[in-house]
Parts: sequence; structure tokens; C-alpha cells
Amino acid sequence: MKRIGKIFIILSFAVLILWIVPWLYRIVTLKSYTTPFTLYSCVYHDFTRLDRSDGKEFRFIDRNGNVYGDEAQPLFYHNVLSSKGMLPDTLEGRAVTPAEIDANNIIVTAEMKEIKRIAPKAYLLMESVPVRLELQDPEYAFVPRKDGLYIYEMAENRLDETKSAAFNEALRAAGFSFPARLFAGNPSDRKEYDEGYLLTDADGKLFQLKMTDGAPEVRHFSAADGLNLEHLIITELKNRATLGYLVGRDHALYMLRPDGSVVPTQVRYNPFEEDFMLIGDLFYYTVRVSDDEGEHFYALRSDDFSLVDTMDRPYAFEEETNLCEYLFPCRLYFTSSDDGFVKPRFTDWSWKGLIVDLVLAAAWILWRRSRKNTKN
Amino acid sequence: MRKMIFYKEWLKTRWYLAAALAVMAAMTFYCLLNLSKTAQIRGGDMLWNLMILKETVLIEMLRYIPLVVGGLLAMFQFLPEMTRKRLKLTLHLPYPQGRMIAAMYGYGLGILLVLFLLQALCLGTVLRGWMAGELVGRILRTAAVWYLAGFAAYIWIAAVCLEPTWGMRVALLLLLAGLVHLLTLSSVPEAYNGILPWLCLYVLCGQLLIFHSVARFKEGLQD
Repeated sequence: MKRIGKIFIILSFAVLILWIVPWLYRIVTLKSYTTPFTLYSCVYHDFTRLDRSDGKEFRFIDRNGNVYGDEAQPLFYHNVLSSKGMLPDTLEGRAVTPAEIDANNIIVTAEMKEIKRIAPKAYLLMESVPVRLELQDPEYAFVPRKDGLYIYEMAENRLDETKSAAFNEALRAAGFSFPARLFAGNPSDRKEYDEGYLLTDADGKLFQLKMTDGAPEVRHFSAADGLNLEHLIITELKNRATLGYLVGRDHALYMLRPDGSVVPTQVRYNPFEEDFMLIGDLFYYTVRVSDDEGEHFYALRSDDFSLVDTMDRPYAFEEETNLCEYLFPCRLYFTSSDDGFVKPRFTDWSWKGLIVDLVLAAAWILWRRSRKNTKN
Repeated sequence: MRKMIFYKEWLKTRWYLAAALAVMAAMTFYCLLNLSKTAQIRGGDMLWNLMILKETVLIEMLRYIPLVVGGLLAMFQFLPEMTRKRLKLTLHLPYPQGRMIAAMYGYGLGILLVLFLLQALCLGTVLRGWMAGELVGRILRTAAVWYLAGFAAYIWIAAVCLEPTWGMRVALLLLLAGLVHLLTLSSVPEAYNGILPWLCLYVLCGQLLIFHSVARFKEGLQD
């Protein structure tokens, strides 16, 4: 028992050192790394990155090294340009107004750390047509179970059987098969309107569910049948250009229009491995998909989502001596900024570290044996 | 003999257990009272909103209670054994030593299990009155790792108390610090769901440390 206990202690210490020492080393040697804000310019038709190296002026630099001012992004910085009287009346061959520009400036983000976590199995249900016109805090929540949605009146924690039956009946009538699989919603009153939830059923078919005047409103998007979806984003943007973005298991991104049509794009996005940001304006959407290696930019036309341009920007990692590489066979850590799980993760495997550790272990055993022999 | 051992352990720990029960009950009551007031003043839907929209399980104030209760129980149970080497006498009783030690810490683990189950049952019952079972399940699944920290603290502190040398005591305390750090690393609800069975297995294997310390004690090791 003593020997097993000893082995247990040694193994525990090995894991502890493998975890703590590289962690401390990283804390000491960690350097911040930022990437420049980048947008597709509707004026110069190229990706321009923001450069504020002098700390004062906003300068935009395109891929050829040309330097521009705010006029490179007249839609994103329209307020600044308006205040200086520099906002052009015409862009892309058509007249534009500040109100129109403002209504079409959109930002949609999706971070994998929000997706890779265990979400609560309950969803707030808003009234989409509030009596007082402004959206109100939700009074109901639904809990998806195998045989249907169970709608609770939250204040009383009371299962509303009538409402649950009505919602489940409406879903079944639209062809929904329980249990529901994916959900996407934004139950916040800090938005201009509510589109409820996008959800997929047991067969992977896409539906929309919302509560209007207390009653269910269900829509089936047959255009999305067979897309084999793995992630949904509801947009609820002020320009109402889209109802949501759909991501297939093949990591293809589709735009779901309010009329129910689905437009495929050439954007590739893996929601479980990459972060997503879309900044859109009247003419173009700049989509940034970023992973551990770098950033991939796509410029899409905002009317038909066709691809205009792409750009890759790998992160410029500096080659530095990593002492841990010579001390440990790998690095162990348990949490990551990319997800909400605690689990063992082994990275930075190193043969050098393994050899050093084996040599040290052999030396230690030999030293122990020689000491024992000397004592005897 | 086993009954006698349990009785001896009971005599050593009864006042501590009464205090631990009182503290756990008071903290649980205070936590639930807070939630009750939130529900009264801001509406029961606020609790649902917090659970669904924020990364909270509402009972975070109880997070370190099992850890402290488990660690202190081990101290109250095993420190008296080491004062004036009473453990030597205990080990000379006409009963297999392994079973004796197992009965001693089995008593502690059993008591902790009862205390933790009582608290979880109480929390689950009251919370169920405010929210759906799925959300209550999320709270209790998140709290499971806090209870595991309580068992870990008990086992490791017991091994530290029974360990005869300071060097090994410090080593065991370092391991405990690492384990507690791991068990409290994340406050994201249900973050430990996947790793929890493995952590349970590791903590259970930690019982080896108690036997390891006793074996070293029997060898007569000392500073």
C-alpha cells in the first residue's frame, strides 16, 4: 500500500508540475497581440486596415500600402465625415443619405466560447407584438423536452398547459418533429423588434417560432431542408435584410432572408473552431472568420451576398525560445478562452522535453539506488 | 468492534458536526432567503432570467462551504489521534489495522455524504418551487464539484494529519492546493460535467494517501 501511495504521489506531482510550471512561464513571458481593424472599402474596393501607429490620426492602409483617411470608410465613419461636411452624396453610383447609411450599418458577432459551453435547457419567450409597442421583458420561458415544448409562466413557476398545448400543436401542424435540436434567439428588449427563435427539429428541418398576441406563430423554411445545419444565428437587424445566418455541417454559411429564401455564400465558417464577425453597410459585408492561425476576410455584396474579394491574414508569431520545450514533454492546461469547459488539454508536445525528463528520471533512480547501497 | 470505532469517532466529532450542521444550515438558509427576497421584490421571473441569461447558478455563495466543512472534519477527527501518538494505541486494538483506518475515514466520508446530500436536497426542494427542474438540475450539477472539493479536502487533510513528517505533509498540502485550484478553476455552470467522473475517481484514489501516511507512521518515521 505504501508503494502504491508513493506512486500516486509521484504521478500527482508530475501532473501538477506539467500544469503549473508552464502556466507560470507563460504568465511571465506572455505578450499582447492585436490585429488591426479591417473593413472592405466601398470607395477603393479593397480591404483597408486601420493604422494608428502615431497614436493620433485614423489612417487606413490597403493591401498595396496606399494610405487613406476616414474617406476610405465613408459608411462606417459617416457621422465623423458628416460633422466635417465630407460625407459624399453619391457612392457606388447612387445617392445615399445619412439615415439610409445608419439603417444599414450592422454588426453580427458569434464567438465560439459562447457556443462551446453547456447552455441552460430553458429559453425566454418574448411577446413579439407587445401591446405598448416597445418590447417588454419576457413573462414566459419554454423548456424543450423529448415530446414537446413546455411553457412556464416564470413569475409563478407555473406550467401553462394551455399555452404549451397550443405551441406544440402549432409546431406539429407546421410539420415539426420533436425533439427540437438547435435554437437561436435573442430574448432581449434592447432590440427594435423580435423574431422569436430559429430552431431545427429532429429531422434537421428549419423553423421559426415566435409568440404574437400570446399565440404561437410558426414558420417552416422548406428552402433550408436538407442543409444539415449545425449552427444558427438569429440577426434581428435594423435593416431587416436577413432573418438569420445558417451554418451547415460542411461549414458553409447561408443567409436566410425574411421571405424564407436561403442564399448560399462562399464564406467558410466552423462555429466550433472559429470566431465570426460581420460588419455590414449599404453596399458590402466584411466577414472576418478567425481561428488560432489567423484571420480570413470575405467581402460580400450586401444585396445578393455574392463574393467580391477575400483576404487571409495569418498571425505573425515571433520565433522565441521556449524554455518549457526543453523541460517538459508537453504542456497541460484545463481551461481555455475558446470554450466553457474544464478538461485536460495537452499541447506543445516536445521530444526534447521528453528526453530531458527521461534522463533526469534515470539519474534520480540511479542516485537513489547508490544512496541505498551506501547506507547498506 | 466497528461500532466501537464509529462511537469513538462520534465522540471526537459530535460537537464539530453540530457546529458544521448549524453553519451549513445557516448559510443555506441565508442564500435561499436572499433568493426569496429577489423573487419577492423583482419577481420570480428574475431568477429565471438570471439563470438563462447570466452565467450564474444563484447559489455561488455556498461554493466553499463543503471544502471548509470537509477539511475541518478531518482535522477534528485525526488531529487528536496524533497528539501524544494516540494512533499507536488505536493501531494496537484487536482489529485489522487496514479495516480500522478504513472505518475511521469511512465514518468521516459517510458523515460528509449525509451533510452534503441534506444540503443538496434542501436546495433542490426550495429551488424547484421557483424554477423548472431543468434549471434546478443545472444548479445541482454545477454544485457537484463543490461537494467533491469537500471530500477531497477531507481525504487530503486526513492524510496530512496522520503523516508523521513535515516534508511529506508539505508535499500533500501542495497536492491539495493544486487539486482545490483545479476544482475551483471555473465558475461557468456545468463546466466540469465531462471531467467530473475522472475527478471523482482521482479523489477516491486519494484514500491511498491515508494508508500511505499510516504506513509511514508505523515505520516510525519522524522529523
